[in-house]
Amino acid sequence: MTVTGYLADFSLPELFQLLEQGNKTGLLTICTLADTKTAERYNHHIWFSQGQIVAAGNTLDQRGLMGLIARRGWMGDNAVSRLAQTCQINTPLGLCLKNQGVLTAEQLKLLFYTQVMRQVCALFALPDGWFQFDPKAPTPRAEMTGLIATATDVTLAGLRALKDWAALDEKLPAPTSALVSVIEGKPNLRLNPNEWQVWEFTNGTMAVADVAKQLNLPVAKVQQIAFRLIVTGLAEEMPLMAAPPPSSLALDDAPELEPSIASGKTAGAAPVSASFLQNLVGFLKSKV
Amino acid sequence: MEIMRLVVTGPVGAGKSTFIRSVSEIEVVDTDRRATDEALLIKKRTTVAFDFGRLQFGPDMALHLYGTPGQSRFDFMWDILIQKAHAYILLVAAHRPHEFREARRIMMFMKQRSPVPMIIGLTHTDCPGAWDAANIALALGYPNPSRRPPVVTVNANETASVAQAVIALVQHTWSGSLAATS
Ligand SMILES: Nc1nc2c(ncn2[C@@H]2O[C@H](COP(=O)(O)OP(=O)(O)O)[C@@H](O)[C@H]2O)c(=O)[nH]1
Ligand SMILES: [Mg+2]
Repeated sequence: MTVTGYLADFSLPELFQLLEQGNKTGLLTICTLADTKTAERYNHHIWFSQGQIVAAGNTLDQRGLMGLIARRGWMGDNAVSRLAQTCQINTPLGLCLKNQGVLTAEQLKLLFYTQVMRQVCALFALPDGWFQFDPKAPTPRAEMTGLIATATDVTLAGLRALKDWAALDEKLPAPTSALVSVIEGKPNLRLNPNEWQVWEFTNGTMAVADVAKQLNLPVAKVQQIAFRLIVTGLAEEMPLMAAPPPSSLALDDAPELEPSIASGKTAGAAPVSASFLQNLVGFLKSKV
Repeated sequence: MEIMRLVVTGPVGAGKSTFIRSVSEIEVVDTDRRATDEALLIKKRTTVAFDFGRLQFGPDMALHLYGTPGQSRFDFMWDILIQKAHAYILLVAAHRPHEFREARRIMMFMKQRSPVPMIIGLTHTDCPGAWDAANIALALGYPNPSRRPPVVTVNANETASVAQAVIALVQHTWSGSLAATS
């Protein structure tokens, strides 16, 4: 089934994480909402293969990459088109051109950087947009350089460059929450020094606000770093217990209260008997 | 009186109150409305509102359902409910991706406070824009289908559907004992 929604609800970093962790193959389309002044909308396409980003563009006409090559002045539009026809059906256009000796590995890298890294990273600044993921879309050979980027790397780069975090405000971990690592050992990602510093506190005990104090960083900045660790699959937000019960609430001085629930301290629920379970399930089944 | 306590949690609007009301509707015996009701007592002593439903299905057997309070967040009240629960169900509105992160936070908090079993109940799957179970599980942080809690679909408005979800939770929690005796 397709995944659809609005970026204001389910943000691009979350979406990338989902597509990566789900090893998804297909086409993600993001449609910007109509600009109030110009009433224009734009489509952005990002192709995934097994959770990794293989191409990006603004059109579905399969001519985006050829256009980029032509614009670089490396080859005319027509020449690329002609060469493209000789490519094997399953080979990415970029790789095919490299195999034919027309493009160098360096040139491919530059193309990929322009096509994917630059275009996609810019999308993190979108305040909103409608998205749809189509798992049935064909693989766009003509748009592919043959290079790939992990969604995680793109997210890291995009969020590091992000200036205005307003759209993601609700998604950030609360200053009162702690962070907890969800990986074994240390991250394989190339984290920057601040990210490493925050990473050191992913033990589920210290609130983000206290981490900020400890590191002498603004709370908002630590929240943003924490969000990066979360959406790249390294850590999870762990809400901490809010203030302890007010002393006026002495639950265990209520004799009429069932003892087990009255003493808020003792953990666990009393076991229930097998006949209880059978009766309950039997009763519920009669309601189904 | 033998009592099983189940906690119903989830973001605001997921269907917790409705879910609990649907079970209370099938309450057959209302033998006991005296103040021994633990939920009423806690309610009286605090100003925190939480949902409470009861299903009495035998002279001395009852199922109690507690909904986590919506207006307070992750406080002692939540903790009291969780500590006493045999199991819990996390309700998530399938058509509101906006809430998936909050559902994830709630889940992390619950897991931290209690080791008891849980299942995920997807509500609003009949609404436009509803995501499917596999993608919601991913959004909740379960990339591996074989290593995630059971995910059931439930319409909180339908008694039969809620009964089915409670059965799923009970069977998941006591799979051993139910299999051994039936
Ligand atoms: N269409 C539909 N509506 C539902 C479903 N589950 C709950 N609702 C509705 O969702 C709304 C919010 O439910 P409520 O129980 O108040 O949510 P709470 O905030 O978690 O207690 C109510 O109007 C319910 O009738 C469902 O599966 N399908
Ligand atoms: Mg409610």
